[in-house]
Formats: sequence, C-alpha cells, structure tokens
Amino acid sequence: MDKGLLAYLLIPLLSAVIIPFAARRRALLADILANVTLLAGLANIAWLALRPSVIQGGFADIPGDGFSLLLVGAVYLVALCVTFFSAWFMPEGQPNRAAYYSLLLVSVSAMTGVVTSTDFFTLYVFIEVLAVTSFALITTDESAGGIEGALKYFFLTFPASALIIVGVAVMLLSLGSLSFESLRIAMSAEAPAAAVTFSAALILLGFLIKSGVVPFHTWTPDAYQGAYAPVSAHLAGIVTKISGVYAIIKLATLLRFFDGRAQALSEMLMFLGMLSIAVGALAALRQTDFKRMLAFSSISQVGYIVLAAGLGTPLAVMGAVFHLINHATFKTVLFLNSASVEKATGTTDMDKLGGLEHSMPWTSWTSVVALLSTAGVPPLSGFWSKLLIILALWEAGLRGYAVMALLFSIVTLAYFMMMQKKVFFGKKGQAAESSAEVSAPLLAPAVLMCGIIVALGLLFPYFYTYVKVVAERIIL
Amino acid sequence: MSAFAMDWYLIALVIFTGFYCMLASRSIVRQLIGLELISKGAMLTVISAGHQTSNLVLAQALLITMIVIEVVVVAAGLALLVKNFRIHGTADIWKLDGLKG
Repeated sequence: MDKGLLAYLLIPLLSAVIIPFAARRRALLADILANVTLLAGLANIAWLALRPSVIQGGFADIPGDGFSLLLVGAVYLVALCVTFFSAWFMPEGQPNRAAYYSLLLVSVSAMTGVVTSTDFFTLYVFIEVLAVTSFALITTDESAGGIEGALKYFFLTFPASALIIVGVAVMLLSLGSLSFESLRIAMSAEAPAAAVTFSAALILLGFLIKSGVVPFHTWTPDAYQGAYAPVSAHLAGIVTKISGVYAIIKLATLLRFFDGRAQALSEMLMFLGMLSIAVGALAALRQTDFKRMLAFSSISQVGYIVLAAGLGTPLAVMGAVFHLINHATFKTVLFLNSASVEKATGTTDMDKLGGLEHSMPWTSWTSVVALLSTAGVPPLSGFWSKLLIILALWEAGLRGYAVMALLFSIVTLAYFMMMQKKVFFGKKGQAAESSAEVSAPLLAPAVLMCGIIVALGLLFPYFYTYVKVVAERIIL
Repeated sequence: MSAFAMDWYLIALVIFTGFYCMLASRSIVRQLIGLELISKGAMLTVISAGHQTSNLVLAQALLITMIVIEVVVVAAGLALLVKNFRIHGTADIWKLDGLKG
C-alpha cells in the first residue's frame, strides 16, 4: 500500500459505516454526509496537487508515483458528481437511500485501494470489493433490467477473478513474490523467465474481461443500460476503468512493453485494443437506446486506452493515462445527461426522443461539449489524449494502427452526431412534448465536468508536465 | 508422477468439470455451482504453489482471505439470483434476454 494516500481510503469507509446510523431519523443526513466526505477529499487532493508552489516546481513534490494521486482525484471527482446528482435525482422517501450512499462510498474507498495497492493480492482483494458494491449499486431501483445487467456482470467477472487467482498462484510459483516491484525487477533481467510472463498474461486476461475489451465485452452494454441511471455514470465513468483498465496500464508498465521483452503480449494487447475501437464504434452506430449507445462508445474509448497501453512507450503511456482521465470526464457528462433526459421524458429510446434542444438547452449543450471531446476535436481535452496516442503509434512505426485510430475517431464523431440529432436536435418526438429542463442542481455536475474538459484542453501544457512526471516515475 | 504434477492434474480436472457444468446446464443455480467449482479449482492452485515453493504460510494466509472474499461475492450473486427469480419466475439463463440492441 501507498501509505500517504491511506486516508483517502479510510475516511469514505468510515462515512459509509456512519451513514446508516445517522440517517435513521433524517434521510437527508445521508446525502449531506456523502457529499461532504467526497467534497472534502477532493479539496484535499486539489491542495496536494494544484497549489501554486507545486505547479511552479513542475509537480516534483507530488507524493508517490503521481499516477495514484491523479486517479484518486478522478475517482473523487466522478463520485462527487454522481452523489450530488443522485441527491436530487432520487425520489423522496426511496427506502434504501442510506444503503445507496454507503455502497457508493465503499466503492470509492475500494477504488482508492485499487489505485494505491502495490502487490497483486491487494489489488485482487480491492477489485472484488469493488465488484460486490457494483452488483448492489446496479440493482438500486430493483428493475428487471438492472437485475439482468447485474447478473450478466456477475457471471463474467467471476471467472475473471478465477483467472486472476490462477495467475497469482503461477506468479507465486515462478517469482516467489507478488509485489509489483519484484515483477518489474524480474522483467528487466536479460531474459525474463517465460513462466513469469505467463502468470502476468493470465492476470492480464482477467483484467481484460473486467474492463470489457472486445471479445469479452458482452456484459458491458447490458450492465450500463440496465443500471440505475446515476449508477451507470459511476460505473462507466470510473468503476470499470479502475477495476480493469488501470490494472492493464499498470501491468503494461511493469512488463516493460517498450523494450520488447514481452513482445507477443504487447502485440496481442494492441490487436485487442484496435478490435474494440472498431467493434465498439460500429456497434454504436446502429443503437437505438441512448444509454446502450453510450456503453458501446465506452467500449470503443477503452480500446484507445488498451491500444496505447499495449504499445507501452512513455509517450503512449502518457496518452493512455490522459485518455483515462478524459474518459472519466466526458463519459460522466454523457451518462448524467442521459439520466436527466430519462427523468424529464421517462424514456431513453432515441426513436421516441427528439427536439429536446429547446426545452433542455443546458443538457443539450453540455452533451455537445462532451461528445466533441470524445471525438477528439481541438481544443477540448479529448483531442490532446488522442493526439498523444496516435503520435506514439506513428513514432513506433505502427502506421496502420495510427491511421485506423484516426479513422475510427471520425466514426466516433459520426455516431455522436446521430445521437445528438435524434435526441436533442430535429423535430419534437412524442416523449419530448411535455418535457422541461431539469433543475439546476441536476445540471451542476455536467456543467462542472464540461468546465474541466475545456480547462484541461486549454491548460494542456500544465497537465502535460504532470502526466510526463507520472509517466517518467511509473516507467523508470 | 510427482505430487506436484498430480495436484495440477486434479486441479485442471476440477476446473474443466466446472466449465462443463456451466456449458451443459440452463439453470442459473447450476451455472453458479459450475462457477464455484472453477473458483475452488483456482484456489487449490494457490495452496499447491505455496507447498511447492515451501511458502505454505503465505499461501494459507492468501487463501483464507480469498475464501472470505469469495463468500461475500457468492452471497451477492445468490441475492441477485433470488431477486431475478422473484421478477421473472424462472431460473432459465436463456430467458435473460430483456436487454438487446
């Protein structure tokens, strides 16, 4: 464990224990406690990473490897948006309000545990905790869709955990230790043992299933579509990214893909990344449900991260880390907006929606910002991360992959434009007739995230310095 | 055959029994039992690895934690099964097709 960040794990856990007792008399206390805990954590992280003296010093004072702190920041940011949104989204007197916030806070502390762990066993423990809280959160509203999504998620993540356990056992046999550091040392030897690479490959396969990369993507759309509306933002924005994609980036740096010691694994990972970019984007083109289309788009964006992680050069890892953060911002906005649309009109079927632009201008325009960032339009933040990934691919001589990544970026723009036209522009559909804009507190998280998207894009030089520090520390 | 090879032979047998159980049955409960078999086989690998590297104490500690976690995960899964049965009135996995696209 990275002990400097332990407080970010323990404080949400403590709040999660307190909430059911505190909210027994007054349900409102649950909302307040959850929001205050996350806001305090976020303010603390902002002070650690963004105070002027740290920025002027080129982020050299960041504790640990910088990657953990960045991701803990992203976790708290997304979770704060989701809790703030749910506080106004949930109907009054929903029976399991306190349980919902407790689970959300436990999932935040589990995610913090995942990103601060320094050995595979701790990683496994926190990922299982995260999975259990996700099952419960998906079924918050006890709808048939939610339970179906959660069951599919369960049936695919459980074998993935078994694979990770076998990988841990093989690593215990071949390496004798489970820490990240010993794997890094073993991989920097002249000829690393094949069994060590094999154990890492088993663990990698488990995490590929958990992150929903293409051959194993079947659970992702169902879980996102069926989930309770704010929970799908939490799940797509950060949970599956931390429980799957983070570990893939970490393994990619530990296995030293950039110097070609695990060539086959690196090539396989890049191929799967490209495949999920293609399949996700093409499947998103023909969806009729708003949330399901966003889920396929999420698969496609995860493909970019996996592609960059598979390449593993410092520039590519920078792109992967940056795209992970960007994905958390824009996908949260889009899923929260889909939840707003669902609340205002009662459906997420794109064929029934349409013309919401006039009645819901804020929701419409925050969606536009988020989708342009996803498609990689300058000067928004998504442009920079895709640029880094494509530049890294070009630099490594993988011209074909670079061109394909660029082309599918255009397909991304195409399906999002179709979505925007069907939901917000065009003629008014049946469901859109009587809808009004949702209240200001429901819009606040989306507007905040849009501000962050624009700010990250415009203040890219500062952020680049930070990500460069991260990439140097985790690779060297 | 050495004891180690025998271990892994049996473990492979347990895991494939689990996979067969998942493939051959339509009932969600039996699928869960198949998953349990796979997961138990995976846990046996840890104890075998600990024995082989004479690091049994570490392996046992890892395994006990894993068992505890697995119990929690399975409990959550069983709760989902029960809720699913209450809503759909069936435990057939092929009937789980409400979400499509």
